Amino acid sequence: MSASSHPTPNRTVAENGGKPVSGRADFQGALAWISLGLAILIGSITMDRLEAQDVNPYTIPGLMPGLLGIAMMILGSLLAARSWRRGLSRGAAHDPTARRAEYRHLALVLVLCLTFGGLLVGHGLPFWLASELFVSTAIPCLQGPQRRAAGQKLTWRTIAVAAVIGLAAGGIITLVFQKIFLVHLP
Amino acid sequence: MLAGLAELGHAYMGFLNLTSIVYGLGGALIGITVGCLPGLSATLCIALLTTLTIKFEANDAILILICSYVGTLYGGSRTAILLNIPGTAANAASCADGHALALRGEAGRAIGIATSGAFTSTLFGVLCLATVTPLLAEVALKFGAYEFFWLALFGVTMSGSIVGNDPLKGWLMGALGLFVAQIGQDGLYAHDRFTFGWSQLAGGIALIPALVGAFGFAEILTTLADPIERKLVEMKDSVLPRFREVVQYWPTVLRSGVIGVLTGLMPGVGEDAGAWMSYAAAKAASKEKDQFGKGSIDGLMAAETGDMASIPGHIIPCLALGIPGSAPSAVLMAAMIIHGIQPGPMMMIEHPQFVYDVVAMTTLAMCSILIFGLFLVRPLLLVMRVKRTILMPIIFLLCTVGAFAGASRLFDIYSMLTIGIGAFFLRRHGYQMAPFVLGLVLGGLLDKSLRRGLVLSDGSILPFFTRPICIAFASITIFTMLLYIPAFKNAVKSVTGAIGSVLSRCLRSKAG
Repeated sequence: MSASSHPTPNRTVAENGGKPVSGRADFQGALAWISLGLAILIGSITMDRLEAQDVNPYTIPGLMPGLLGIAMMILGSLLAARSWRRGLSRGAAHDPTARRAEYRHLALVLVLCLTFGGLLVGHGLPFWLASELFVSTAIPCLQGPQRRAAGQKLTWRTIAVAAVIGLAAGGIITLVFQKIFLVHLP
Repeated sequence: MLAGLAELGHAYMGFLNLTSIVYGLGGALIGITVGCLPGLSATLCIALLTTLTIKFEANDAILILICSYVGTLYGGSRTAILLNIPGTAANAASCADGHALALRGEAGRAIGIATSGAFTSTLFGVLCLATVTPLLAEVALKFGAYEFFWLALFGVTMSGSIVGNDPLKGWLMGALGLFVAQIGQDGLYAHDRFTFGWSQLAGGIALIPALVGAFGFAEILTTLADPIERKLVEMKDSVLPRFREVVQYWPTVLRSGVIGVLTGLMPGVGEDAGAWMSYAAAKAASKEKDQFGKGSIDGLMAAETGDMASIPGHIIPCLALGIPGSAPSAVLMAAMIIHGIQPGPMMMIEHPQFVYDVVAMTTLAMCSILIFGLFLVRPLLLVMRVKRTILMPIIFLLCTVGAFAGASRLFDIYSMLTIGIGAFFLRRHGYQMAPFVLGLVLGGLLDKSLRRGLVLSDGSILPFFTRPICIAFASITIFTMLLYIPAFKNAVKSVTGAIGSVLSRCLRSKAG
């Protein structure tokens, strides 16, 4: 028996974000897999076979990636055929308003995380300060939509609490990792 | 045999000191706390602690990691019971009956059952770990390049087949993991593959940042994408472990322990498989099937014992074969390598004492969860009241540190972010991360084994299909994949059906 053959709402939510995967999404995914497999196969075929070093032809570096590229193309084709056979419009019904709100929320989280991980950290700013800036911005940004939905407004107190939490988090992480456990921080 | 017992005794004595006990309790406490927080997995906890303990002695670091592994899975049951959200994927099976008990005002009893079930099943798993690992390692000494090739392929295929509900997507993720492992310098000639002249990629994609991305950052995105804050059920009754119920439901405990360990032995399957299979077996054997999902003690006991027994089960192939049984054990294996201990068939020769040390560490973890189950249930529940909008940004800080600390490269943070975003969207489309992780871990082994095997056989693929162990692995792998083809599946069904009807006729005629 498969571990996942039991219907559990929580498991489904965790795995698929609470939404059934549409046939169209599966088909588009399959095309992406086939393209990736093809790109890997081409990359493997054109890869240096180290003939100048007189290596055994059975040990050329592109052998395994090439086989994996072929495997991806076969599996991708099977996925494409399956999603086509089951119908591209299957399970595609979504509430567009809810979806837009979710995407907006997701975009906000991504912008916050990518700004911290890609720009703030490791570019001259001390880690504790970068952490303080990130946490004190992230908490009000993430709580804002929830509060608006509940008919409440963001208060100065929330912003001040967020700043304190940010300072504490950055300080404690720096202290514990860098000073106590001697782990190098970005 | 006697030498093994002596080494086991030596291992237990080695951990009977204040430092080890404090490390063990600390690891378990961190694990339980992380397990209580929905969305944070055992993989993330072990990955973050690996970076934190990088300067520790090998045995101390692995002790903390094993205790946190056991603690996380145990802690996850509380969230399942009180919030109806599994703290980790392995606790999903505990949600239905555990939360139903909580709604009836028996939350403390449910937690007590989880504690006693976790303790008993980990004890059973520890016994299997001590006895099976040396035997399996002895068999694995006979493995050559051909066997390792099939073992790696078998692991990725089985993981893809069993984890999730779509084998095709599981295999695709396994293939992706195997491919990502090929990026960087190859293992035989140090030739750059798919690096596009980028020197940072020559070292390959490191395992810890990839896992932190796939299980940490992706979880943060998943958690924050769901705006609903769940309500905690109040707990009024006693949370003391219920060992009387362990005795009462001993067939369930024993059956689930065996299932947990056996599923643990399967590469890359994960702890949730042990829980679900134990739950299904308990339901099939129970006289009160209708109570399952409505607060069945039998169901909760089966789910909790199944997932906890699978932890030592996952460590067995990790130590004996160098093939991790689950994503958390993959990080554990990476941590062992970081600390200079190479898991695999040579371990019983190079570090024979270490296997018994791991047995002692798991025993210490088991005792730690019992202590916290007795004394620290209510204070630890406070962590579940912290809002996700506060917790998740802090967890992201830890993910960034965890990705960076291993090699002090900013590139690892970018890998973590890229893999995390990719994992988030792939999960939303029904793709599982466990086969990807296993592919990432086994990619190097698969590549080297194939090329070495081909050199040894001078280009012939016959030895890959004619050696006894290869035949077994190849048959199971190919059979599993062929089952996806409807015509083959129907043929297998009709054959097994025909055999079943012949057997039942024979039995009836004998009985008559």
